[in-house]
Amino acid sequence: MIGLKGTLNVIDNSGALLIECVNVLKQKVNNGWGGVGDEIVCVVKRARPIATASGSNVVKVRRGDVRRAVIVRTKKSVRRPDGRYIKFDDNAAVLLNNKREMLGTRIAGVVSADLRMKGWGKIVSLAPKVI
Amino acid sequence: MSLNLLRRCARSLSTAAPSYPFSKIAVIPPAPATPPPAPLLQGKGLMAHLADTLPSADKLRLLKTYFSKRHPLRILPGSVLSVTMGHAPTQFTGVLLSVRRRGIDTSIVLRNVVNRIGVEMQVFVASPHLKDIKIVQRAGGGTGQGKTGKRMRRAKLFYLRDSPEKMSSISAGLRG
Repeated sequence: MIGLKGTLNVIDNSGALLIECVNVLKQKVNNGWGGVGDEIVCVVKRARPIATASGSNVVKVRRGDVRRAVIVRTKKSVRRPDGRYIKFDDNAAVLLNNKREMLGTRIAGVVSADLRMKGWGKIVSLAPKVI
Repeated sequence: MSLNLLRRCARSLSTAAPSYPFSKIAVIPPAPATPPPAPLLQGKGLMAHLADTLPSADKLRLLKTYFSKRHPLRILPGSVLSVTMGHAPTQFTGVLLSVRRRGIDTSIVLRNVVNRIGVEMQVFVASPHLKDIKIVQRAGGGTGQGKTGKRMRRAKLFYLRDSPEKMSSISAGLRG
């Protein structure tokens, strides 16, 4: 249940560390709260210092950027179709650009398997562990 | 024509399960040998009757041994269990934090730490998607043979969410 002012950890290598949700997109159910697999608009609150000479071609974000992201883990339990509930110890997200493509190239940590059902197969395939 | 009549009589007299023409997966259990008692037809004792008949035989056995309150082989909170589901993600291993006993709605909460992130899963025991439950370690360490294990001093171990060191002590006993 991520809404306005909800903070999430960023688990890809785009450079951001902590983002704050500003808006949940396309969410007409759930009273406007975002869950796993929902796209949000967010502000980068904390980012890794950007090295001046960067050899890689990964887009690095700065503190204060407004970007889009998809929620991959929530502390609120999510119901799977077979009836079990899954919850994680933190809220986490992966940054995206306006065309629903990932900004980073790698994902560190666990992601929820509900992403596959919502159509984020690329993120699921990049993740080291899917629960 | 008399043969057809004979066949029809035989079919109506047989106690085999009737076929459902719209689905091959639907299972219609055969009618019970004794008709339901009169109080049941009025609705008395309905929930108890459902608790005995709705789950399949091995689920009922699971509920009555592993998840009962006083059976000598019951699973205590603090044990490490491994559940296998029918579809992805198939396996989940974790410490049993709580058993919520509600008859057919009995559910368990398993907690594990994966890639330094804690994950909790609530599994309903009587679900047909649940294929297998394996006891990796009984509470307080030890094999699953015979003893229930050492009883933790709480029925629900939600304090493990805040102390990673106690979680790692349980898992250290597992690998050792």
